[in-house]
Amino acid sequence: MARDCEGFSRRDFIKVGSAGLLGMNLPQLLSLESAARANPTPQATNRRATSVIMVWLAGGPATIDMWDLRPNAPENIRGQFHEINTSAPGIRICEHLPQMARVADKATIVRSLAHTIPSHGPATVFMTTGNRPTPATQYPALGSLVTRLMPAAAGVPPYVSFTELRNGSAGQSGYLGTAYNPFIVEGNPQPAAGARANSQTAANLRVRGITLPTGFTLEQLENRDRLLRNFDQTFQNVDRNSDVVGGLDAFHQQALEILRSDKTRNAFALDQEPMSLRNRYGMTQFGQGALAARRLIEAGVRFTTVSIGGWDTHGQNFNALSTRLLPQLDQVLSSLISDLDDRGMLENTIVYCAGEFGRTPRINNNVGRDHWARSMAVVLAGGGFRRGYAHGTTDTNGMAPATDICSPDDVASTIFNQLGIDPHTELQTPTGRPMQLFREGRVINRLIG
Amino acid sequence: MKSLYLLALVSMTMLFASSARADVNLPGNKKLENADFERHIMGLLGRTGCNGGSCHGSFQGKGGLRLSLFGYEPEKDFVAITRDSSARRINPIDPDSSLLLLKATGQVEHGGGMRFSKDSWVYNVFRDWIARGAPSSAGRGEVKNVTVAPNEIAFKKTGELQQILVKAQFIDGTEQDITYMCEFRTNDDAVAEVTGLGMVKSIKPGSTAIVVSYRGNVMPVRILIPMTLPPGFQYPKIAQVNYIDREVFARLKKLNMVPSDLASDVDFLRRVTIDTIGQLPTPDEIRAFLADKSADKRTKKIDELLAHPLHAAMWATKFSDITGNDTVALENPPTLRAKRSQQWHDWLRKRFQENMPYDQLVKGILTATSREEKSPEEWLESVKKIDSGIDGVGKYDTGEYANRPSLDLYWRRQVAVPTEIWGERTAAAFLGVRVECAQCHKHPFDRWTQAEYRAYANVFASLGVGISPESKKIVDKENAARKGGAKNVNQINIIGKEVYTAAPAKTYTHPDTNAYLPAKALGGPEIKLGKGIDSRVELFNWMRSPDNPFFARVLVNRIWAHYTGVGLVHPVDDFSLGNPASNDVLLDALAKDFIEHKFDFRYIEKAVLLSRTYQLSAKVNETNKFDNRNYAHSYIRPMIAEAVVDVLNSALNTTEKFGLDVRPGAKAVEVGASQLQNATLSYAFRIFGRPARTTACDCERAMEPALPQKLFLMTDPGLLQKFNDPSGRVIKLTTSKMNDTELLDELFLGTLSRLPTESDRKAFAEHRNIVSTRRELVFDTMWALINTREFILNH
Repeated sequence: MARDCEGFSRRDFIKVGSAGLLGMNLPQLLSLESAARANPTPQATNRRATSVIMVWLAGGPATIDMWDLRPNAPENIRGQFHEINTSAPGIRICEHLPQMARVADKATIVRSLAHTIPSHGPATVFMTTGNRPTPATQYPALGSLVTRLMPAAAGVPPYVSFTELRNGSAGQSGYLGTAYNPFIVEGNPQPAAGARANSQTAANLRVRGITLPTGFTLEQLENRDRLLRNFDQTFQNVDRNSDVVGGLDAFHQQALEILRSDKTRNAFALDQEPMSLRNRYGMTQFGQGALAARRLIEAGVRFTTVSIGGWDTHGQNFNALSTRLLPQLDQVLSSLISDLDDRGMLENTIVYCAGEFGRTPRINNNVGRDHWARSMAVVLAGGGFRRGYAHGTTDTNGMAPATDICSPDDVASTIFNQLGIDPHTELQTPTGRPMQLFREGRVINRLIG
Repeated sequence: MKSLYLLALVSMTMLFASSARADVNLPGNKKLENADFERHIMGLLGRTGCNGGSCHGSFQGKGGLRLSLFGYEPEKDFVAITRDSSARRINPIDPDSSLLLLKATGQVEHGGGMRFSKDSWVYNVFRDWIARGAPSSAGRGEVKNVTVAPNEIAFKKTGELQQILVKAQFIDGTEQDITYMCEFRTNDDAVAEVTGLGMVKSIKPGSTAIVVSYRGNVMPVRILIPMTLPPGFQYPKIAQVNYIDREVFARLKKLNMVPSDLASDVDFLRRVTIDTIGQLPTPDEIRAFLADKSADKRTKKIDELLAHPLHAAMWATKFSDITGNDTVALENPPTLRAKRSQQWHDWLRKRFQENMPYDQLVKGILTATSREEKSPEEWLESVKKIDSGIDGVGKYDTGEYANRPSLDLYWRRQVAVPTEIWGERTAAAFLGVRVECAQCHKHPFDRWTQAEYRAYANVFASLGVGISPESKKIVDKENAARKGGAKNVNQINIIGKEVYTAAPAKTYTHPDTNAYLPAKALGGPEIKLGKGIDSRVELFNWMRSPDNPFFARVLVNRIWAHYTGVGLVHPVDDFSLGNPASNDVLLDALAKDFIEHKFDFRYIEKAVLLSRTYQLSAKVNETNKFDNRNYAHSYIRPMIAEAVVDVLNSALNTTEKFGLDVRPGAKAVEVGASQLQNATLSYAFRIFGRPARTTACDCERAMEPALPQKLFLMTDPGLLQKFNDPSGRVIKLTTSKMNDTELLDELFLGTLSRLPTESDRKAFAEHRNIVSTRRELVFDTMWALINTREFILNH
């Protein structure tokens, strides 16, 4: 706690460690100075998982037609799809998810999830933060919390999102502050129409701000930086006494290190993967994004979000699901799970596939389903989640959970439990108000295998 | 049971006299006789963190034991400790085997780890209390008054020690030394540290406060630590412009800190331009200012900038934060939200432009109604007119909404806001007080109780946000026509949010007794509720009265914080017992001046800007280099996100495109919406900390530097693209006929607002040798300049 104000040079601790400064705000950076000197306290060791890939189904998927069919319900509820058996004994899912059926023995389906917000914006916030939105507090996204609590490898962004959830109104860092926002991937991993899928397609992806833009070489960066160093003399003697000035200098060093590092860039070199694997994921934006997500996790990213929209099926629900949405999801999610498993990464990577809510069991006049938060299903895989298990049930008509009802807070708590983070860990808002990660959340022990 | 307990101070030589029972040795040769549950045990439960929010004080308790948060319900806690769980927690026969002690010392597994050791005095106090049968007498611990001595410590130098003594006067008239039962924390551990027993150590020259809390009673102790001056040092005489300088310099003299020199003309011009209008001065403006030889040129510049249209926009942006101009939360349809946010901003801006007295500005917000004095029919017509002005691509409000006397948008949110949230919002915005803690429990570092919280929420019980009975008929008719046969009414502009005075809704009752709880201003008088009474009017009258302890102080503090980077009370919306002003004489003087000048906003701004204090250099001297709270020099500080965007455009001489929701040509400080469609810009806003404004707290605006900001300035494609703008500074200079000296002058004036030094010129000349084209030279130099700390910080 004692701070040596006189002799201390901030550069001393910059050299100490470059680990994970990306997910750090100024106070944390500054506290690193004391941490560097004190003995590091060992982390809790009940950690099963080290990273998360969130597959976000924007719009609210009709999970009653996917993971939890109600074949015994009346026709205007059960819909048009049939169930098929899966590799997990006793678990049956939709006929349009045959590849998922094959990997169901590696996955966990939660069928008894429920909340009460049938509106896209706040429901997205609830599902992606694990906290029911309130007017008083802006809760941080799960990825931001991970960023705050688990440092990533040096030179790698801890939290990468392939999409801005609801135009940036969700998926953000909330009360944690700007340092914990996601880094956003730009570009298109999908080969241009008609073009042969080859190495050219890989160069299109980039995490904004982590890599140099096209036409900006490392050599130029070094030259420009030298010039900048020469110009930036005015505060030379101030930085020891000003957190802002010294902090900016530390961040500058870190920025250079990241730009010089090729870890993130390499993660997007999808041409390093065999064509067969790329084809397995599918040459779609969603498929190649999921593959890139896996590569990012390999590079040390903690939390990444890939997303596919179009699930808000108020009309023509079955047509949209069977022709467009389910085939794509089936291919990508099953490939991701089996690919991670093949590489031995599934044990410590959590795949979490969810949307903001389910859809009305009753089919509307436009052969669609409307918003329904009172029952929904999500899929988890890896990270110590119990394999080949379906948790909870819904009533005959799928209106509400019948057994083992759980909430988004509970699922979030369980994910964090697997990451070795106590779900009741306390953080502080900028006003100094202590906040538990998930105040209402309880770890669902039976989800853990 | 004995009725009188004594806390005796005895000397070391008397130790042998201690009896086996009922006398516990405390550190510092103190003794505690017959520890009392409420007075001592409850204090220790707080000190050791047992009743904190993450431990047994949480709502569901921990490990089966639930204590009241921060110990505000001693009677319940007594039952929890002595009776619940089959009374296993205490064992008077064999005190050492009490579960409470086994857990707290970590002898049996305890989620909270070891709180104190078996050989500690804390253990002995608990043990003694248990051994005596764990007695308690309800109400014995009720406090009449707590005093700390000293309540101000002026150290002579660093490394000194001083003990704080805390005494409590209880309701039964007895007084006890309860120092060791208190919690102590320092507001700045770089300046002074405090031990758990109240021993303060001076660490670094400066000022701060130690906050002492004893079971909900919070008392600050002010700490002052002067610089050690070399022998024979003569404190110079410093010129003063006004009372601000008098108070700031008086404090600095006490601290042996000498203010920095006056800032140079270029430093002053850059700083004041960024602070007032969020832009950089142009190279021509800088030259003109330097060429001006008149003695009052700074005063003239201040007047010019305060009257500048962008100055009003700057405060409209800040007050959009303060009042919670959250685009996403505005009423349907979503397509109109950004433009309604802009109306909100415009409404504020018009008043700052006119320099409307601050109390009248607040009145327009706090007592806003939709109809104002209009009949339902007139109102409906005015709504149609206002909406038609913004409904459509390329249509922007031309002042229709801003001309309304009141800002009803403040209350018009899509999702109903509970009355207690209005309490929180108005308290934070206009009283600078954070009451949200008191929703569930007494505020741990302030005076607010749950009852006060609820009584304040009740003030808003007659606020109606919907359609008033008077307007219902005509609005229903209008809405029916608008809806037609539409399926999704969310996308249609129907009239659903009229702000009006309703019959009082059900009010909150007293949290303990469940009794009727009259509406009451926060720390103020009761406020009448009743049919046809707009209780907000009386609330406003209380706020703006000259003896309101918050209203004027909060505003002058906001102004002060805006222009110096650090509030006298800091953070600015945390006026509380635990967070005293760094210089309350100055705060009081500013508030008094503000009230005497009829809440004249710009008058106070001018007083601040004219002061020598504001105009000091950022360059420190040996005596003031550690200062960060007493204004001995200008503080180097980050700019707000909007200023960053505008300043970058100033430097590059480019403009920003904000998308279809914003008037073309607008500067970032003129943008009202908290969410924009333009992706590049939303990104810049976000990483530099423009808040979503969901929580109506200034604190939501992150002002700290973070790594993504640095990466943005170095690599962002959207930003670098601006270098290639044909009418931008980079291309213009590339194609100009200027020689190298002129070129570099222009680049420096356009970015750092100063001329290059010799060493700058040398670096530039060296760089010239490694680039092949003039374009590269200009490009690289611009890149280097906007990436300096000197550029991105205000100083």
